[in-house]
Parts: sequence; C-alpha cells; structure tokens
Amino acid sequence: MTTWEIFLQQLFNGLLVGSFYGLVAIGYSMVYGIIKLLNFAHADIYMSGAFAGLIILGFLNPYIGNQWLGIIVALLLSMILVGLLGVAIQRVAYRPMLKAPRLSILITALAVSMILYNTVLLMTQGQYKPFTTGLTHESFYIGALRMTETRLVLLIAALALMLMLHLFITRTMYGKAMRAIALDRDTCQLMGINVYKIIAITFFVGSALAAAAGIMAGVYYGTVHFFMGFLIGLKAFTAAVIGGIGIIPGAMLGGLLLGLLEAFGTQIPFIGSSWRDVFTFVFLILFLIFKPNGLLGRMESERM
Amino acid sequence: MFKFKNAWILILVIALFAFGLFGCGDDTAAPVDETPEGDAEGEFEGQVLFGIMVPITGSEAADGIDMENAALLAVQEINAAGGVLGYEIITSTGDDECDPSKATAAASKLISEEVVAVVGGYCSGATLPTLALYGDAGIPFVIGAANATSLIDENPGWTFMINSTGDAQAAKAVEWFEGLGVDTIALVDDGSAFAVDLKEQTKMQWEAAGHSVVAEDRVETGTQDFSAVVTSIMSANPDAVYWTAYQGLGALLIRQLRQDGYEGVIMVGDGSSAQELLDLAQAEGEGVYCTAPPVVDFLPAAQSFIEGYNENFPREPGAYAGLMYDATYLLVNAIERAGSFDGEAIKDALAATDGFEGITGPIGFTPQNTLNRSNFVILVGEGGRWQLAE
Repeated sequence: MTTWEIFLQQLFNGLLVGSFYGLVAIGYSMVYGIIKLLNFAHADIYMSGAFAGLIILGFLNPYIGNQWLGIIVALLLSMILVGLLGVAIQRVAYRPMLKAPRLSILITALAVSMILYNTVLLMTQGQYKPFTTGLTHESFYIGALRMTETRLVLLIAALALMLMLHLFITRTMYGKAMRAIALDRDTCQLMGINVYKIIAITFFVGSALAAAAGIMAGVYYGTVHFFMGFLIGLKAFTAAVIGGIGIIPGAMLGGLLLGLLEAFGTQIPFIGSSWRDVFTFVFLILFLIFKPNGLLGRMESERM
Repeated sequence: MFKFKNAWILILVIALFAFGLFGCGDDTAAPVDETPEGDAEGEFEGQVLFGIMVPITGSEAADGIDMENAALLAVQEINAAGGVLGYEIITSTGDDECDPSKATAAASKLISEEVVAVVGGYCSGATLPTLALYGDAGIPFVIGAANATSLIDENPGWTFMINSTGDAQAAKAVEWFEGLGVDTIALVDDGSAFAVDLKEQTKMQWEAAGHSVVAEDRVETGTQDFSAVVTSIMSANPDAVYWTAYQGLGALLIRQLRQDGYEGVIMVGDGSSAQELLDLAQAEGEGVYCTAPPVVDFLPAAQSFIEGYNENFPREPGAYAGLMYDATYLLVNAIERAGSFDGEAIKDALAATDGFEGITGPIGFTPQNTLNRSNFVILVGEGGRWQLAE
C-alpha cells in the first residue's frame, strides 16, 4: 500500500467509526442540553439496541430474510422499541428527580446503567453473541479506496440519520420547543409548552439513534456483547464534550473528529497502535485547554 | 400524591433487591456448609472442600464455565468411587471474571472458606496476583490453563502449572509458521498479561530464527472497531498475522482482516482456541490456525471423559476441560500420596509428581513447578469446527 492509499483508507475508517460515535454522542448532548443530565445509561441503551436488533432480526429472518430488507425493518422496529425504553426510563427514573439536586439524578442514571448492563449480562451469561446477517463482504475499489457494500451503506445511513435529526431540531415545532427548553425550562412552562412531553420526545429520539448505532455496529462487526457500550459510551461522551455539550451539530462533528484522530493515531510512525489512545486523549486535553467550550460552544452559551 | 411517590420508590427498591439476589444466587456452586444429601452421608468420614477459581462471568465466561464443569465432573466421579482418603469432596467456586482485582477477591473468599487446595486459573493476568495469596495461606494451587511465563517468577512454591507455558507455545507457533514458508509476521495483542507474554516470546523466538516481525499492534479491550489496526497491518503486508489474546476480540479481528482483503495466514493463540471463536468469526474463520492446548476431542484417552461431560452438561467440552479434569484428578492423587489434607504435605506430593497419567498426557513437573514437556497442538478451522492440522 502506498502512503496515499493508507491515508485514504484511514480517512474512511475514521469517518465510519466517527459516525457511530456521533450517533451515540447526539443522545448525550440532547439530554444534557435539555435537563443538564449526564445520562450514564445512554451507553447501555446503545447495547440494548444491538441486542433488540439481534432478537428482532432473528424473528424476521424466516419471513423477509436477514439481508438489507430484514436489517432495515429490524432497525426501525428496534429504534421504536428502544426509543420507548428510553422514554420509560425517563418516566420512572429521571422525571421524579427533575427538581432534586443534580447529583441525585446523576446517581440515578448510574443505577439505571447498572440495571441494564447486569440484566443483559445475566441473560447472555456474559458471552459474546454472533450477529448473523445474510450480507456478503465482497469488496470493490473506489479509486484507491477499498470498500465493501456494508460499509458504504452504513456510512450513508449514519449520515442520513444525522441529517434527519438536524432537520427535526431546526425545522419542526418539537425541535423548536426542545431548543427553547434548553434555554429556560421554567419560562417555557409558563408559556404553555408541555415540558415533560418534550423531554420524553428528547429521550425517545436520543435512545432511538443510539439503538440505530448499536444495530449498525452489530451488522458491521458481527458480534455483540453486554459491555459493548462501555467504551463507545466513553468515546461518544468525549465527542459530545469536544463538540460543545448540548449542541447537536457539535456532537456530530466531535464524533467524526474523534474517529479520525483514532484512525490516524494508529498510523503514526515509530509509535504504533498501542499508543493510539494516549495520542488521541493528549490531543483532546490540549484542545480543551485552548477551547474549553468545545468546537461549537460559546461562552454565553445558547445551548442546543 | 406523596404516598404514591413513595410506593414507586418502594417498588423500585424491591425490584433492585430481587435482581441483586438473583444475580448472586445464580452461578455460585454448592454452598460450603451444605450437608451431603441422602444416602451418601453414611459412606464418608467427612467432607473436604476444594476451591475452583475460574471466570464464570465476564468476557471469558465461556471457557471458565467449561473448566468449572470439568472440575465438577471429576469431583462427581471421584466421590462416586469413594472420595479421597474416605472424605467426600465438596467444592466452592470463586469467580475471577478474568480481572485481577476480582481475582484477589475470589481468592480471599476461597481462603476464608478454608479450602484444602484450589484448581483453576484461566486468565494469566487475573491469576497472577492470587499466587502470593494462596502461598501465604499455605494452600496448594493447581493451574489448569493460565500459562504466561510471568506466573513462574511470581510462584511462591505453592503453584503447579499443568499447561505448557508461553515459551513452549511460541516455539510451536514458530515451528508451524516456518513449515508454511512464512517469513514476515504481524503480532497483535490486547494488552493483557498473557497476550503480551506470548507476543514477546514469539517475537524473541521468531527473530532468533532469522525472520522479521513487520508489525506489532495492540487493540483495546471492549472496542469493536479494529479498522485502523487492520489498515496498519495491511500496509505492513505480513505473510502471517498471529493474534495472541482471547476469542471475543480475536473473532472481530479475523473478520475485519478478511473483509478488508487480507489473504495471508492467520493464527491465534490458545486463548482463542474455544469453539466460540469460530462461531463468532463465522465464514471468515475458515482456514484460521490455532496453537492450542491438548483439546479432548483429539485425545484417545479422553473419550470416556467426553461421554461423561456430555451426559452432565448441555455443551461440548472446550479447550481447557481436559486439563482442568486432569488438574482435579492430579490433586486427589497427590492428597492420596501425601496421606493427609495438610497443605505442606500436599504441596510436596504435587512437586514429586512424576508420570501421572492424565487424559491430556503424562504430567510431571520441572523444578519451577511447570509441566516438563510441551503439550501444544495446531488446529485449523474447517467447516466451522476445529480440526487437528497435524
């Protein structure tokens, strides 16, 4: 491989993994923007999404197969299902705590994370599960770039989901209400906005996107397991902070940036992949020292 | 309204407790103080407690549960044949979760339960800190699987390793690569003690044999995306890739290497030798080689063991089942030779072991308490199953 080919390949690798980070980061950012909560359970929502997708795809397989059609239907169904799970968690665990001190709700989020994580651990006995699909992995070249159909479709799907979310936030009444609540919840309530309903919608959308990322990861990597959310959760949260937490386009950009940093971090001469994370996070510390509010954050902060 | 809220919290708390209890009660083996059942009571003079330390939850649970099963099967057979020195063996399992901090907790638990001896040890990294604990407590420890060379240095004299150590495995890998005409290799590990040890041993022996290592990469535990590492390996274009860590990540690496068009030899170390690797790697697992411990499927002496295992457990015996079965029998054999349950006497009897006939072959120890021969074999993935490649 020439240097140029390696560059192109790593660029694409970084974009793909970065778009997964971005999809998960959006959920952290939305929830933080609207109720100022670091939703620890979000990483486990991602994991639950992957398992929901695996189970639903298993049911659908005899009827519509487990190729793209089956995967898309399973993706949509599990997005709805996991979105509702997110709403239920919000209703049971977070809503009663909205007026409580911030730390209490943070600990509640941690508890929800533990419950989800351990439930799946018990159900799977801690084992890796194969995520079997009917997709083939024939590769072809676009210029010097080696590509598979799966990767191309997943990257496009991830970007499309982000675009749809952006339109939802900027072009609909619900999106406008979300942005308003992020600015000032009490005033919104006085103006007659149903704050609880909007918070529930926020959780639905954030969880559904995380579930989508989970299933896409399952399809792409071929295995799922109960702690698959842990590391990506940390990375996505980092991405949300880089982008400026509470700002949706920032989360997307932060995810892509982090993905690219990691991909190129593997390739630094004489250092090698074992130092990749050191490289990535040193860069991030430097970045945050000079730009503490993140890529798109502003000091006076209009959140979201 | 207030009452309603309280009720919600109460329900949550109860649900949490139910989960907690369910979680704890699920996997632990027979409690220590349980009295023997039914007619067995009259036959034995008393009970003797063995500890089993393996990961029965966490990423390496598949092999851990398999090892626990094998030890339980051996105990069951020994008890049916009259026990050891007239005592019935009961067991207590400590779950190390393949995590050093959990392993020390598991070891402390077993020590506080006053086990006579311990069998187990799967992940070298997790097993390592427990050696001193057992040594201080005067409890002999027979390791059925873990085999990093670092364990030898930490051995206070109470540990016995019946699996060949990492250098014997590296020698086997080098021999097989040379037979395939491979000249350049890439080594990939996950940063765990066992994987790094095997990688270093392989690198040393490979370079000593006059070949070159063109890439050394490390993947992060818990990650799924190896694309960057795969591209880095592809750019170095090695004749072979050797994965020295465990199956969960190994399957991901194999899939991503093959899907990115890598056509060279892929070999995995004994941490990836369970059937699960091929299940997870799916079509991409075909033709993958493995330096494996003596897998019972290919051992003529192990046929009755396999039958016994299949009768008792709803799965096939995995890579370390045979070794763990031997570890348990070896321990009983040593106790009988020692003629007592005294730790010191058992330790001396174990050290004096020579030519004990296990189903995985004869067992004897070097002065460092490691197996005095190499027991590795080469397997190859064919039709989704491991086959003997030799």
